[in-house]
Amino acid sequence: MVESAWGWLIIAYLFLAGAGSGAFIAAVACELLAPDWSKALARAGSLAAGPLVAVGTACLVLDLEAGFWEPWRQIYLVGNLRSMISWGVIILSFFIPLAFLYAAALNEITVVGKIAKKYVLFIEIVGSLLAVATATYTGVLIAVVNGVPFWNTPLMPVLFLASAMSTGLAVAMIGAAIIDITTVKTLSNFALGHVIFLAVEALVLMLFVFMSLTRSTEAALSAGILISGVLSPYFWGLVVILGIVVPFILSIIEYYEYGEMPKYLVVGADLLVLIGGMSLRALIIFSGAPPQII
Amino acid sequence: MPRYGIAIDTTKCIGCHACRVACQNQNELRFNEAYNWIKSKDRGRFPSYGAEFIPVQCNHCENPPCQRVCPTGATYTTPEGVVLVNPKTCVGCKYCMEACPYKVRIIKHHEGIVEKCRFCIELVREGGTPACVSTCPTQVRIFGDLDDPNSDISKFIAQHRAQPLRPDLDTRPKIFYKRS
Repeated sequence: MVESAWGWLIIAYLFLAGAGSGAFIAAVACELLAPDWSKALARAGSLAAGPLVAVGTACLVLDLEAGFWEPWRQIYLVGNLRSMISWGVIILSFFIPLAFLYAAALNEITVVGKIAKKYVLFIEIVGSLLAVATATYTGVLIAVVNGVPFWNTPLMPVLFLASAMSTGLAVAMIGAAIIDITTVKTLSNFALGHVIFLAVEALVLMLFVFMSLTRSTEAALSAGILISGVLSPYFWGLVVILGIVVPFILSIIEYYEYGEMPKYLVVGADLLVLIGGMSLRALIIFSGAPPQII
Repeated sequence: MPRYGIAIDTTKCIGCHACRVACQNQNELRFNEAYNWIKSKDRGRFPSYGAEFIPVQCNHCENPPCQRVCPTGATYTTPEGVVLVNPKTCVGCKYCMEACPYKVRIIKHHEGIVEKCRFCIELVREGGTPACVSTCPTQVRIFGDLDDPNSDISKFIAQHRAQPLRPDLDTRPKIFYKRS
């Protein structure tokens, strides 16, 4: 494990922002493309998106030091447009209110929701763009860092976007099961989504690890920590097996059994995807080795 | 305007850490905070064995990754080419600590801001030299103007072909090392 300036708060933020924006995209996709039986999933996704990203952003603020104790300093955060954090602040400050507005619109919460419902298509289009921006930017945030060669690759945002899509769908499916347990049967329709997203995530993760092994000495060192070093039990156990392989198999069974699978397995697969997503972020942060300077 | 830099002769360094203590004293740091470190590297095998001591501190890069990623613009470069942190606008996000390839920035938890070697800019502007330079018993460090071809540092770099650490990272550091 490598000493990192960032810890669990940033990891939680990376995960929650990804899951929240993924849930938003899942909700929009259901609302626009799927027929009436998927409304519970669209509602759950929209309800989860705003709070998840907001809690994630709270983690980000908690990780600040002077900016936390003297919050007025945060006004400076948009001071340098060459910094990904400045872009992140701008993206988040538009996406979070819009996500709450979308939840209000789909669930017709208060008079705000009723008004917002008239502009729901506009919210969906702009919101989806911002959701993709949020999920991608969390990857770009650490990809532009010279100080950690392992992260410094264009595959990083792709990996985070893929993980955001699968964790977002998982959040929306768990939410749908909570809102309306009878909907569990219809959730099988979305199992195919999980199969696709997890396959893409596995592919990108494989590319990321393989290319890291040859990219530079430090990236290879980091990749080594993940696949055969001190963090390898967590990588293979939590990310690969529990986070990708098991939910992948469960989702295939779910798709073919169509609605016959026990409820706890359906929700369990989604929970595993979330554990995998969180572990993936944590392991990438903790395995980032700095350049060898001497 | 001068362009300050330091040349370090690692063959003279005895690893006594006087530079670190002088720096802590000058910058009123706590015992567990430092702006410079002495890294060591094993050279050769017994019986022809030696340990090389390599003093490391902020390189005051001309292409500083820390300054590029700082969201508040708290990290800035002075006209003398010294990279500094404005303690009034730093929020303590630690992005610069991740971005720095040399990992020479620290977070001062009690103040909530990130700090690092400042080339003792107040001393230098009054005509002095940084504390680590003046305190070194074996005169490992040479401080001076890189743009003046007749300065001690420029002559030293030219004579020994001193190189910065990891020049391939393209951060263009202003600390040059004579390694052997």
